[in-house]
Amino acid sequence: MTVIETEPPEAITVTDLSGEAYRVAMRRWLRANLPMGFRSDSAAFAPSTLQQSIAWEAAMYRAGLTGITWPQAYGGHGRTLREHLIANQEIGALAMPESVNSIGKELAGPIILAVGTEEQKKRFLPAILEMRDIWCQGFSEPEAGSDLASLRTRATRSGDNWRITGQKIWTSGAYRSQRCLVLARTGPLEDRHRGLAMFAVRLDAEGVRVRTIKSIDERESFCEVFFDDVAVLQSDALGAPDEGWAAAIRVLEIERATNRMYRAWRFENELRHLISACKTDPVLAQSVTDSRYAAKLGEVVVDIEVLKAHVETVVDALMNGDRIGARGSLAKLHWSEAHQRFAALALELLAQASLPLLPAVKVARRRFEAIYLQARAETIYAGTTEIQLGIIADRILQLSKGK
Amino acid sequence: MALTSEGLQPADFAVTAARAVAACSGLGLREQARQLADDGLLGIIAREDAGGLDLPLAFAAPVVAAATAGLLRFPLLEMTLLGHLLQQSLPRMAESIVRGDVLGTIAWQGSVVTEREGSSVVLNGAVARAPCAAEVDYVLVRIGAGGAALVPTKAEGVVVEEGAGLDLTVPEHGIRLERVAVSDESILRDDLWTGLGSDANVLRAAAILGSAEACLSLAQEHASTRRQFGRALSYNQAIRHALARQKLGLEGMRHAITRSLGEPAGALERDAAFLAAVTYGTSISEGALQIHGGMGFTWDVPVHRHLRRIRSLQAQGDAGGLIAALGRRYVAEIASDVAEIAPVAEAAAAQ
Repeated sequence: MTVIETEPPEAITVTDLSGEAYRVAMRRWLRANLPMGFRSDSAAFAPSTLQQSIAWEAAMYRAGLTGITWPQAYGGHGRTLREHLIANQEIGALAMPESVNSIGKELAGPIILAVGTEEQKKRFLPAILEMRDIWCQGFSEPEAGSDLASLRTRATRSGDNWRITGQKIWTSGAYRSQRCLVLARTGPLEDRHRGLAMFAVRLDAEGVRVRTIKSIDERESFCEVFFDDVAVLQSDALGAPDEGWAAAIRVLEIERATNRMYRAWRFENELRHLISACKTDPVLAQSVTDSRYAAKLGEVVVDIEVLKAHVETVVDALMNGDRIGARGSLAKLHWSEAHQRFAALALELLAQASLPLLPAVKVARRRFEAIYLQARAETIYAGTTEIQLGIIADRILQLSKGK
Repeated sequence: MALTSEGLQPADFAVTAARAVAACSGLGLREQARQLADDGLLGIIAREDAGGLDLPLAFAAPVVAAATAGLLRFPLLEMTLLGHLLQQSLPRMAESIVRGDVLGTIAWQGSVVTEREGSSVVLNGAVARAPCAAEVDYVLVRIGAGGAALVPTKAEGVVVEEGAGLDLTVPEHGIRLERVAVSDESILRDDLWTGLGSDANVLRAAAILGSAEACLSLAQEHASTRRQFGRALSYNQAIRHALARQKLGLEGMRHAITRSLGEPAGALERDAAFLAAVTYGTSISEGALQIHGGMGFTWDVPVHRHLRRIRSLQAQGDAGGLIAALGRRYVAEIASDVAEIAPVAEAAAAQ
């Protein structure tokens, strides 16, 4: 395994720090340790290998930058959501790769914390933070994309244990994962949401087959996962068969509002990168200050400020013990659409660069072409735009659907 | 009422404001001023020795929002700002404004030039977008880039033009100043306009929020009760999604306003709150009109009044100029290339 050198632990053991002192410590550590090759705003950028990503994320954990709010008993740092926000602001401010274990850290982990047994928490959670176990999400199926109540993958009793048969799709990163959070049906299809249960399925189990799918950004991270009568121990079932889904929904409400909390600050990092690259090119330097593009860039700034306001409101509400309900949909919807608009603007601007392309413009083009393509997925994954609008109409506005 | 913010929340003022706005219905401008003053609503941000409550701007925001939601026909935003602005240089005038004895407004567009003539200063020029200027006693006009003068509207040489612009609720007026002589004390310090504009933009954002909330509420009510093809309009996904987008915008502007009024918000957060309010406020009010169908185009449905008000507030804050200025300011603050991350590169190289 690649070892990422970090500052000595005592320099970053910051349990007694809070607020701005905590921010400064996190910032110092990130800026001193993030390899230049990881930075997509650097000429030295090179896509990181899985082993490099695992080593980097394990180092981030040791520095106190992941598992921030998880209890210390399960390997977490036992801090508040406020520190989670601060750390994410600092993470977002740098152009670093997305986590290869975001499903473990932001979906499986919180679900296990909510519905897992003590034994499961001790077994699964530290392994996620230490990057020994990478997780993927086995929810969507070919016939059940947004409509999870229609899913067909079946879990049947086999003595005290279970056997799972079915197919999952859009399972990002399954090829590199050790565990899959599988949502499966224990009752008849007519039961819809009832009778759904969750399992932590080992992907090296007999009967599991993973096939990658090439996506528009030329990556092969998307996967199909086939389960052919796969044996699953009862100790890997998460929550009771009939309550697992309901508990998961409660967790997902919060997760939708708090996951990838760094997005607003990463968005800002991207905007700053775009502008700094444009300023190296005489034509683009002129463009970014002419009225038309200055106004468009101003609109991006406003979009980012509104996104920050959404995120900070959610953190305040959760810190006050309020329920978030469907409000997580607001930030996701705003971010995904604003980010697409920005990515299109970045392409439009960079297309007007002088020839031959200057080095900083080349770096920016490479980054923003990738961002533009990846942003197409942002209004689709984690609930499409149409699903989010439906949630707002149903659950926030409570509009009547009846006759 | 306690004169400190201890124990008080900005939202508490929304209730008082809504009641006061309802009580103002049918009253003339001067009677409204007294009504609002009696409820302490003209001096929220003015100092206590000027008769105000000396509270932060955050407490004025829900009041202005309630006024717009209730289509209050009164230059509340301008009176609120004047009571605060004049408290140092013209304390007695500030007190009169806070008490509702004197009515004032601000001309948000244009500026005048000054020349000295003996003991007087003479003002010349044309200004515009001065709410309710035809019925008030004083108007604050901009001098050059950042100064201002408080001018009696009855002074010789002041010509208040017929009401113009879209807003029916708080009509705007243009004003010509032809050799208007004012005393030295009416000339305020020459660096106040930027701060005044920034405060005004936050309050405009709050005003737009009030109108947008009213519009969404009307649209939601209409969509739930109006039946077509045997069903409520809200049965249709196109209508549901349109309303959901309005709600997304409404909450975005609300959070941006809250953020702009907190610590350590600065010019960026304030400008963003106003610009977000303009973007979302216009789409919410225009969208609400659309959801009402033909009814939305009628005089009696009040959505157009809110739409007119929002468009006027947009112009008073020069949203078009502000968004480009915000972009340029942002661009100017960013270093060329990746120089700003160079220290990190050095740190990494040293590893």
